[in-house]
Amino acid sequence: MRRTPLLFFNRIRNIVPPSTGVAPPFVVAICEHLDDMELIAKERDRLLQRTARFLGLSGTLLTLISLAFPGVVTVGAFVSTIPFLLLLAVCLFLLPRNHPLLWSMLGIAAGLAALVVARLPFSGTPSPSLASALAPLGAAGIACFAIVLVSSVLRIVLVVVAAAATTLLVQLAAPNFGALSPTTLAIILGWVLSAVLGYWLSASVPRAARRIYSIGKAHRAERQASETEAQRRQGARLLHDTVLATLTLLAHSGVGVAPEALRQQASEDARLLRQLRLGATPTPQAAGNYNLTPVEETPLGTTLESVKQRFGRMGLEVSWHGTGQVLLPSDVLDAFLLSLAECLENVRRHSGVTQAHVTITDDATTVRAMVTDAGVGFDLDGIDEDKFGFRESVIGRLREVGGNARLFSSPGSGTTVVLEVPR
Amino acid sequence: MTSFLRPDENTLGVIFGRRGKGGPPGVAKALRQASARGATLGTGYLGVGAGVLSAIQALYGVSLFASQWSVYPDPWPAALAWVLYVAAFVTALVTMSVLGDRFPVWLFAIYLVVLAASVALDFFAIWPLHNIGAYATASVSAGFGLVIVVTLRRGREVLASAGVLGIAFIVAIVLDSHLTTATFPGQLNTLALSVLPTVIGVFVVRGFRRMVQQELDRVLVQSTVSAPRFAVGMLASEELARLDLAAEDLLESVATGRTKLKLDPKTASVAASLATELRLHLIEGRRETWLYHAVSESEMLGKSVTLSDKGSLAGLLDSNQRDGLLSAVWLLMSDSRKQQSTRTLSLTLGPVTTPAERLANNQIKVPITITTTDVQRNRVDPAIWASISRVGRYSDSTERSSLRVDIECVVDNPADQ
Repeated sequence: MRRTPLLFFNRIRNIVPPSTGVAPPFVVAICEHLDDMELIAKERDRLLQRTARFLGLSGTLLTLISLAFPGVVTVGAFVSTIPFLLLLAVCLFLLPRNHPLLWSMLGIAAGLAALVVARLPFSGTPSPSLASALAPLGAAGIACFAIVLVSSVLRIVLVVVAAAATTLLVQLAAPNFGALSPTTLAIILGWVLSAVLGYWLSASVPRAARRIYSIGKAHRAERQASETEAQRRQGARLLHDTVLATLTLLAHSGVGVAPEALRQQASEDARLLRQLRLGATPTPQAAGNYNLTPVEETPLGTTLESVKQRFGRMGLEVSWHGTGQVLLPSDVLDAFLLSLAECLENVRRHSGVTQAHVTITDDATTVRAMVTDAGVGFDLDGIDEDKFGFRESVIGRLREVGGNARLFSSPGSGTTVVLEVPR
Repeated sequence: MTSFLRPDENTLGVIFGRRGKGGPPGVAKALRQASARGATLGTGYLGVGAGVLSAIQALYGVSLFASQWSVYPDPWPAALAWVLYVAAFVTALVTMSVLGDRFPVWLFAIYLVVLAASVALDFFAIWPLHNIGAYATASVSAGFGLVIVVTLRRGREVLASAGVLGIAFIVAIVLDSHLTTATFPGQLNTLALSVLPTVIGVFVVRGFRRMVQQELDRVLVQSTVSAPRFAVGMLASEELARLDLAAEDLLESVATGRTKLKLDPKTASVAASLATELRLHLIEGRRETWLYHAVSESEMLGKSVTLSDKGSLAGLLDSNQRDGLLSAVWLLMSDSRKQQSTRTLSLTLGPVTTPAERLANNQIKVPITITTTDVQRNRVDPAIWASISRVGRYSDSTERSSLRVDIECVVDNPADQ
């Protein structure tokens, strides 16, 4: 009965086509949980085996010490017992390695053989202390295998048989065979305690595992929430773009910008950041100089105006041409404006002129912006596009939303960038 | 509010090799706290088991005492010892369940005193018999009495108490009993029976706690398997929020005029570093894959696994492959039989070489190499091979007497996605 669920899950796994690896969600959930259980079951088994080894080696050692006490057994019996005790010790030592059932059976056999050999020859009356000397072997050295063997009915039968044999053999070593001596009771106690320990330890693991998996589930949810929150904040690119621009101005102590304009800009940005902090989504209002609106589709015109004003404050005069009333999804708009701002920033820094022209055109499928300046220009072959972060900040961002950018320039004749995004 | 502090920590997450040195990074700290909770996970039920074991032994002890009643010159001190022991045992169990799996130090002290009294009474009763080993009953059970507190008190305290009990037994045996061939094994057994249960109890509880904490660590890290190709670490959003707040404060202060324009150099440099941190965070924050986060967030993997994944290829693996890879690495690291393992593992992903023949469905091959130290190839658990085969076709070999696995992992081409 214990194996039924496992077979059932294995069958579920087998119906998942290995080539695609795509399974219905419930199957994935079951399989994940099963793997978890298999892993912790392995750890549990190892703990049980280590505990058994500890207990068994202690018992074996105690018996060895007692037998070594002069007069407990004859020298011949002592010497011939040692190999069996050593074999038992080896079995115990190897128990956590692999094949626990094999080592258990071999160990039990070695222990029982040691009990027999120590009592040889059977004809004579044993010394009164022989049973006591063998008690640790029976009650711990052999009984410890009960810890690892209580996992199935068949193995429990093995435990019962081994326990009975052990008790009988130790009883044989006692001078008064018939009576149930304290030593015999101690052997039974050892087996009972080992079995209960093994059972209880096994039963504790699934309980702990359930708690662990519920913590794991909560942690997964937390990770997803953290990921979503980070995405929300990182997704507010346009907002961060303005904040970064203002911070950069402040980093230069605000030199070259009118204090009143900078103060106004700072106030705007602080307000947007506060909204980001308080709101569930970046919801800057369509007010002030930055028109970052929360609606799904955003008119381009008012937003372009804000970009123009921002660059105006930084000393670059931007002239707009063409249509201003294009509606774009907000993620496309973000990418579009951010790329546009990057291009204008490049013009401001590198062109050597204070004027730039932006021409917006649109057709049924595409919105196009052409950024032109009459500055120094540069040699396209001579200058790595990466140098201006062009590939990263412009092309990369546009491609993310399905757009593209092209760059035209030559030394002395200005630069033109064409940005395209789908509508 | 006129002075602004420079963001003083690296906000780009955990750095390999830094674990344990200096202040722990946020993520590791959070996980450590979670693992600390794991220390008590499930041990309550284990404590009940210890109670059951001790109760069984007490039954045995009482019946042994009853059968020897006529041997005692005066059985009443021994009977009183049993009454004391049973009373202390039951009271302790009841108190534990009432207090909700707690056993404060003063209660532990009282418990120890009562147990000591019980031992003393038992020794007093059997002293004239000159055979401690054969007749000690309640005093042996006192050893089992210590077992019930192993889940609630520190292992060292319980072991020390058991040590004192063992010394008491040795002293009593040496002073009172005549060590002969007939009595020696009995004395030794009794001594072992009084001390060994506690030692094994501590051993089991420590092993259990280690197992639970390891499993908790694994389950927490497992959550990275479902992460997107590039993900932020657990506390990245909090760090971003912190930077946003710092920027907001600064801007607000400029806007209201509390900070005068033009800015003094110190505030200007704070603005510069804020901008840099923020920019790095917005761009760099997503460069790390789930595997990086899994390794860096795990107590166990972080110590011994080095990851080299220049192309962030780990992000391309589907969740089944990720699960297989993580399980394999986990099993290789946790499989060590030694408590203090010297095993290390290094994981190298890529580089992707353009294949001569195009794969079906336009997929690409990502070579994954696992090299280890101190892992014998013939000792590898079969479950590890099963996990690795979920990642892709593999071949294993031995390199510098340790395992090396090369995996050919077939993933969807990111260019098609």
